[in-house]
Amino acid sequence: MRGSMEAGTLLRGAIYWSFSSHSQRHLLQRARLRRDVLASSSNPQLQKSYQGPKPKRDLVPDWVSNNDSTARSLPIYVGGASLVAVLVNRAVSGIAPVADASSSQSRADLLALGLAVTSILTGLVWLTIKPKSISVVNPLGVECRMISSSHLPDPLIAELLWAWESLSSVTCCRCLVVVYDGTCILQIGVAAESPDGEAQAVDAARLTEGSVYQGVMKSGSQSYLANLSLYPGRSELPFLPSNTQAVILQPLGDKGIVIIGGDMIRGFTTADQAWITYLGEKLDATIAKHTISGTPLKIQDRV
Amino acid sequence: MSSLSIGPLIQLGYNSRRLPGNRIRKSIGIRADGFPASKDQQEQLNVSVLRFTFGIPGLDETYLPRWIGYGFGSLLLLNHFVGSDSAATSAQLRTEGLGLSLAAFSIALPYLGRFLKGATRVDQVALPEGARQIFVMSPAISDDEKEEFAWGSYVLLRNTNTVAVLISIQRELCVRGYWNVPYAEDAEKAPVLDWFQRQTENIGLGDLKDVLYFPQVPGSELWEMLPNGTRSLLVVPVLQSRDQSGNEIVKNRGFVMLASNIEYAYTEKDRAWIKVIANKFRDLPQVGEVFCNLDSIC
Repeated sequence: MRGSMEAGTLLRGAIYWSFSSHSQRHLLQRARLRRDVLASSSNPQLQKSYQGPKPKRDLVPDWVSNNDSTARSLPIYVGGASLVAVLVNRAVSGIAPVADASSSQSRADLLALGLAVTSILTGLVWLTIKPKSISVVNPLGVECRMISSSHLPDPLIAELLWAWESLSSVTCCRCLVVVYDGTCILQIGVAAESPDGEAQAVDAARLTEGSVYQGVMKSGSQSYLANLSLYPGRSELPFLPSNTQAVILQPLGDKGIVIIGGDMIRGFTTADQAWITYLGEKLDATIAKHTISGTPLKIQDRV
Repeated sequence: MSSLSIGPLIQLGYNSRRLPGNRIRKSIGIRADGFPASKDQQEQLNVSVLRFTFGIPGLDETYLPRWIGYGFGSLLLLNHFVGSDSAATSAQLRTEGLGLSLAAFSIALPYLGRFLKGATRVDQVALPEGARQIFVMSPAISDDEKEEFAWGSYVLLRNTNTVAVLISIQRELCVRGYWNVPYAEDAEKAPVLDWFQRQTENIGLGDLKDVLYFPQVPGSELWEMLPNGTRSLLVVPVLQSRDQSGNEIVKNRGFVMLASNIEYAYTEKDRAWIKVIANKFRDLPQVGEVFCNLDSIC
């Protein structure tokens, strides 16, 4: 290990080299193999396995997160039960149920009642912010995976696919369309079905002239249509499945737009919106870097 | 902050507004608000919100049950010792026992409420003292990779409760934020990077397979390089599940480490997004690995 560290320091920036005796033997054996396989075999011998502390399981936070509705109503039950218990205690002990502060017992009872009421009120506050469970509506349409790949360099394609993979795994996104410079670069996910049974292609020219696009470009910031059925501009997005529930429109600079369709009303959280804004900026920078301006990307291949 | 000159590549338009937290402040008394004030504050929960507030700015009513618990609990004790002339009856003892347990429950309520869905975080975030803000990257990486690292670290710092981020992919580092570095302000980059490299190797983070999340950092000094006041730590490994020939292997390409100065800083959603950002680095070309012929320099 130490030998490798010294060698690494000496040759830093040039060649990363490791020569513990163990890996030397590996290298001899695999001298003719490709370099990435070589790297993967030599690394595990050098990497120390993680020996730090492991995170311990927090019982209470885990329980609360997992039993959200029970936890929300817990203070109400506790408060209510205590209220009843105080009154029963007074009754059983033969004290008149008069709420005055004259005796020490009454004072103690009043304080306990006050605490019970606090608990009940807190439970009520918690209950009012219970998230409404919204059901997922499966989009009706055809699976589609269309990238304008003819002139797009690999890093850009990789980034677009990464964006799709991220959005579809973390958010409720079910379809993603990227339009840049008057051309649809990417249409992936579920698309509306066109009359001939294929996925409905994006008419980028028509989209760019529509009010939806113009509005987003004018404001320059993200537009979140939490319930698409209420939105009159719905007709300008015919390529999205007809029962898309929520849509985020993210401008890419002043030349493009990302349209993200979700399968749940108000399915995109505030956090999602913030992350999508940054994602849009990154895509904009990458596309601008890789796209040769003036070359219309008209050819669309299926990937 | 001491910055690494990356040139014009990092001119991403960083003008996006940070969407504010979901705190809705209303006037005195209890009001049931039908709809939130503005689009910015629209919660995804979108239910009518009952908020009890005194309307005093800066006062956090989430902790009201805790203060009531302390106050009434101490009054109960006062009442027990000072209030009565005669000995306490058993009924009184029962009431006081009930009252004290209710007080303890009230004190714990804000803590429990933090973990419910839709809870808003209003912790004051203080910058770590004694730690310097640095931004260094390994020099031996291409401009594209530098841009990726710069963007990734920027987004992670801005969009999560993070004060320090360390990205290590194939032993190439990008370190940004407040770190506890034992070097002077104007030290050379190379020893700083080497120091971080040694630190991470000693901990053995190169071989991680699972996400490590410490919502409450155990002990005051978990690892030497973390800034003082670190309360949460998240380490996400960057795994590649397929090698170039398409075989299914799980290979550790590196990791992304985030440190925060508030507890329970990263929710499930945060962690999902951070994993996704970390996956961006997965596809970076294999840096620094060169097939070395045994006959040549070794």
